[in-house]
Formats: sequence, structure tokens, C-alpha cells
Amino acid sequence: MTAYNPKWLDALRIREIVAAWRRNEWIDEPKWKNIEAAYPDQFYSPNLFVRIGLAFFSLILLSAAMGLMGLFFDPDSEIAFATFCLFVGVMALLFLEFWAIRSARHYGSGVDDMLLYFATGCIISGLCLPMPYQTDELVYYCVALPFLIAGSVRYLDRALSAAAFVCGLLILLKIALHVPGISIFLLPLTGILFSAAIYLFAREGQRRHAWRFWHRQLSLLEWMSIVTLYLSGNYWVVQQVASDALQMVDMPLPWFFWVLTFVLPIAYIWAGLQQKDRLMLDTGLGAIAGAVFTFRYYFHVLPWAWAAVIAGAVLFAGAYFSIRYLRSHKGRYTYAVEGDKIWLQELEEQLIEQTIASQNPPVPVKKDGFGGGQFGGGGAEGNF
Amino acid sequence: MQHTLRELLEQNLIENHDAERIQALEQQRPFSLHWELKTLLYLGVILLNIGLGYLIYQNINHIGHVALITLIGGLCAICMAYSIRYRRPFSPGETESPTPYYDYILLLGCLLFLVLEGYVQYQYNLFGTRYGLATFIPMVLFFGLAYWLDNRGVLSLGITALASWVGITVAPQEILSKNDFNSGAIVYTGVALGAFLTIVPFLSERLNFKKHFSLTYLNFGVHIGMISCLAGMMALDREILFFPLLCMAVGFFLWYARTRGSFYFLTVAVIYGYIGFTYLLVNHTASWDFDFMFYLLYFFLSCAGVIYFLIHYKRFIKNKQP
Repeated sequence: MTAYNPKWLDALRIREIVAAWRRNEWIDEPKWKNIEAAYPDQFYSPNLFVRIGLAFFSLILLSAAMGLMGLFFDPDSEIAFATFCLFVGVMALLFLEFWAIRSARHYGSGVDDMLLYFATGCIISGLCLPMPYQTDELVYYCVALPFLIAGSVRYLDRALSAAAFVCGLLILLKIALHVPGISIFLLPLTGILFSAAIYLFAREGQRRHAWRFWHRQLSLLEWMSIVTLYLSGNYWVVQQVASDALQMVDMPLPWFFWVLTFVLPIAYIWAGLQQKDRLMLDTGLGAIAGAVFTFRYYFHVLPWAWAAVIAGAVLFAGAYFSIRYLRSHKGRYTYAVEGDKIWLQELEEQLIEQTIASQNPPVPVKKDGFGGGQFGGGGAEGNF
Repeated sequence: MQHTLRELLEQNLIENHDAERIQALEQQRPFSLHWELKTLLYLGVILLNIGLGYLIYQNINHIGHVALITLIGGLCAICMAYSIRYRRPFSPGETESPTPYYDYILLLGCLLFLVLEGYVQYQYNLFGTRYGLATFIPMVLFFGLAYWLDNRGVLSLGITALASWVGITVAPQEILSKNDFNSGAIVYTGVALGAFLTIVPFLSERLNFKKHFSLTYLNFGVHIGMISCLAGMMALDREILFFPLLCMAVGFFLWYARTRGSFYFLTVAVIYGYIGFTYLLVNHTASWDFDFMFYLLYFFLSCAGVIYFLIHYKRFIKNKQP
């Protein structure tokens, strides 16, 4: 099923699992060395930054190659251009399959990623271009979906899996939108049912040993499905859809969606903590923010600056006391760093450094002769 | 997990008691909330800072104004006092944070200091038009705190203040949007600042003083320096001067990447160098009226070359990393 060498994929997977044991010191060094030696792989998978660089240059290279071929073939009609796109796409795919993966042994190197995206993009555009101008979007999605699924299955690509998920959801939503009369009920229901179905599929898939190479994609789908499940029930989302797509002033069952807006995040967090399910927990925390924003969109109870101060203080204090509690109580939860979260932490540190740096030191804004009325000459008044 | 254990057992790579132990440990392993709680702490700091920073300007003529300033000042003082009270003894090497929230409290203190200082300047015109002083004070404070309390986040703030002081806003996301690169002074300052920030880590390594700050300095240095060189080429049209400078910078960071095994600087240097060279080529061949095909061929061949180079970096980078 997969284009990559399954033996090496297994080796990578096993070494990853055992490396986590090693970090927790559950096995000793000689055993770890033995296991490492017993499961070699010959993939070319460079460092993340090199991967980004390679993807960047591959994209330019592929575009230039397509341009050169375009000059050579000179497609002059729409059909010719569509055929040309298909041709380039198939060429890129062959190149990916036979050179990048089989001979150069790339796996997540940036080059194979970009070849795959380029090929998929070209093939889908090649098929969609000849369609008449007024073709429904639905047709485009239906054309794209099989290629996205096939690409994500064969090349173990998470971006294509995500695209396939979105594409599938859009197809169902488009169909639901066309049902006259009851589409306002059908739309959220479709979202909820689709998310639930994908969630169950992803959970079940991750249990299957035979699907082990796809666990990362399934885990991504699992996360996306809990996000779309929340969005399908969120009051703001449903209300926007009702007013924009269906021109409805009042949406039906407002209380139902308000309940979902607030209950789902809490349910996520609770389930996440109970089941020790990090995806659920983190999504629940994000969804709480979504619920707060939704509420503030309709009810202006507090000026946003005050809301930010209060929320900031509550978050800080909450986290502070949780850490204190966790550090003094041993139990099911801990504040200690977990071995398998290392890349996320690195990413977070990178991110934090960026945001800290974008906080400017005070830039003096007050110019001489400031006479603006909006502050009532604030600078001169000292009558506190 | 089960399958892996079974497979390793079959291969005799682990023994029965290992497998039992791992299984038991895995089952009773507590669930780590580390990342979630740290993110919440950080979000709390940022929200507090944004909210207070905005409130102070919004309420200028209101009664609660003084209370608000007192609150911010008090909070800032508490944060600073906490940071100083619980600090680790000074060491020229890296020290661990004394408490999990330590870094965040220090960060909050520093950010609130900025809010307060900006406000005092705005309201009372404390520094007058000596804007340099307004950025000089936080710069000194942040560098001092960063070295004293050993905090890289505060060091980033200090470098940002340094750059503002010499005339640039260096937040990475804003470097292209806010600065006017047409002015020669800023470009020259940028090049000099980039060079300075790149030299500092080498000095500190030689003196064996806060070596772990190197990456923060170099990260600012590489982007400020290279973007300034590119700006000199593109906006000031002085390729004669800035292209050699860019080449030197690229060469330097390639050397650095090679000796230290840093893939980040390898990629960054290659991308900046490629942009510079391509600009030079396109700009100078424009008058020669080349065929479109020439450029396509250039991109095709040059990218193929760069990809070859990046793929074979292992021959190029000395310290191999897994």
C-alpha cells in the first residue's frame, strides 16, 4: 500500500518507541544500543530546517521545470493546457515514485513532500480545468477527493490527509446546503455526524496493528474531527452560516447551540483528563477560548481590555496553583516533563522567543504640541 | 506497544522481566500536564500585559487612573522582587530556573516595566525628546537582568531594545513591514548591528561567559545582518558594496554551520545567499534582453545545484547529528 520501504518504516517506528523508554530509563543503554543496531533504516530524512529549505528550492525547481516544458510543448488551447498539466503531474509522480523514493530513498525530506504536492496539484488542476465555467464547486471537490485520499494513503502524507478531510466535509456540507427547507438543521448535523464518524474511524484505525504506518495521519484526523465537531455545534459558527449562506435572520434552536458551545469544551477537558487523552485536553482548552469569544461576540459584558486582564490573571493563577498542587501531590497527573513531547516544547520555545521579541520597547508616540481632543489634553492635567 | 514488546522479545533484544516492567511502568505512568500548564502561564502573562497596557491609556482621565498605575507599578515591583528573591546564585554558565513559574514572572515584570515606562513618557514626557534614553534604560535593565538572572527570553527583549536604541525595530515578524529600508543610515546600522550581534557569542565563548546565549544572539544577528545586506542591494542599489558583504556573511554562517553542525544556519544562509545572487543576476541581465527561457533554465539549474548541496550536507557538516 505504501510507497516507502515497510521494513524501514517499522524500524523507525520501533526505534522511536524504544527511544522513549530509554529517555525514561526503562531499559538500559546496552539493550538500547542492541535494538538500535537491530533496526536500521536507510531513509534520507534530514533535519527539519534542511527539509524546509529543500521543499522551498524543490518548489522553484518544479515550477521552472514546468515552465521549460511549457515552452517546449507550447499548449495553446484550454484542453491542451489541461493535458499538459496532467502530463506534468504524472511525470512528477513517476519521478517521486521511482527516483525520490526508490532510488534516492527520501522519506520526509522536503523533496518527496514537494513532489507529491506538486503532482497532486497538477493532476487535480488538469482534470478540473476543462470543465465549463459554471460548474458547481461540488464537482471540483469530488474530483479532488480520490486523489487526496490515494496520495495520503500511498505516501503517508499528513497534509494530504488533512486536505482530504476538509474536502470530504465540504462535499457533505455542500450537499446539505442544497436540501431545501431543512438545510439549517442538516448542516450542523452533517458536521457533527461526519466528525463523529471520522473520529471513530481514526480511533479504530490507530488500534489496528496492520495500519501502523498510518497512525500519524489517523491521529491528525482524530484531532481535526474533534475540532470540527466543536465548530459544528458552536453558536457563532452556526449563526454565521445561517445568516451568510441561508440569509436567515433567526436561527432555530439557539439554546441548543449555546449549550453545545459551552458544554463541549468542558466535556473535552474532562474526557481528556479522564482518558489521559492529550488531543482531547488541548482541544478542549482551545475550545474554551472559542466559547469565551463566542459569548463576547454577542454580549458585551466587559470592555475587552478588562476581559484580557481578568482572563490573564485567572489563567496565570490557575496554572500557578495547578503546578504547585501537582508538584506536591503524586498521583495520576504530573508536572514533570514527558519524554515524548520534546519536539513540541522546542517549537514552543522557538515560538515564545519570537513573540517576546515582537514586544517593542516603548516607542515614544507623543509628539510636541500634542493638542488632540480625544484625551482632553491629558498630559497637562494632574488633578488626580 | 504490545506488538513491539512481543517482537523485541522474539528477537531476544529484551528479556521477559524487561517487558513486564515496561508494561507495568507504562500503565502507571502519570499523565504529564507540563506543556499545557506552561502554555497557560505564558498566555496569562501575555493577556495581562496586553490588557494592562491598553487600560492605562484608555483610562487616562478617570478616577481609577492612579489606582491602575499603582497596580501596574506594584505588580511590576512584585514580579521583580520575586525574581530577585528566588534567584539562583550567579554563575557564568547556564542555571536552571529556580521554580517552574520563575521565567514567566520575570517576563511579566519586564513587560510591565515597558508598559509603565512607555506610559510615563507619554503622560509626563519624562525623557522629553531624548528618545534614545527611553530605549536605553530598558536595554540596560534587560541585559543586566538577562545576565544576572540567566534568562534568554529577557535577553531577546534586551536585544530588541538595543536594536531600537540604534534605530531599528527588530522583532522578526516586523522587520520588513515597519522599517524604512530606503534610508541608508538604517541599512548601514543594520549591517553593523548584525555583525556586532554575531561577534558577541564568540567573545563570550572565548571568555567562557554565558555561552548558552550564543544562539539567541546569532539568531538575531543572522537575520538583521542578511536582511540589511539585501536591503542595501535592492533599495540603495549599492551592490558593489553590499553583495560582497552578503557573500561574506553567507560564507561566515556556512562556516559556522559546518563547524557547529547547525542545520538551521546552513539553511538560512543558503536561502539568503540564493535570494541575493538571484537578485543580482536578474537585475543585471534585465538590460540585455534575454529570453524568458534563460531565466527558467537559471532557476532550474541553480535550484538543482542547491538541492544537491543541501542533500549532501553530510559531507559538508562535520558534527553529524542524528
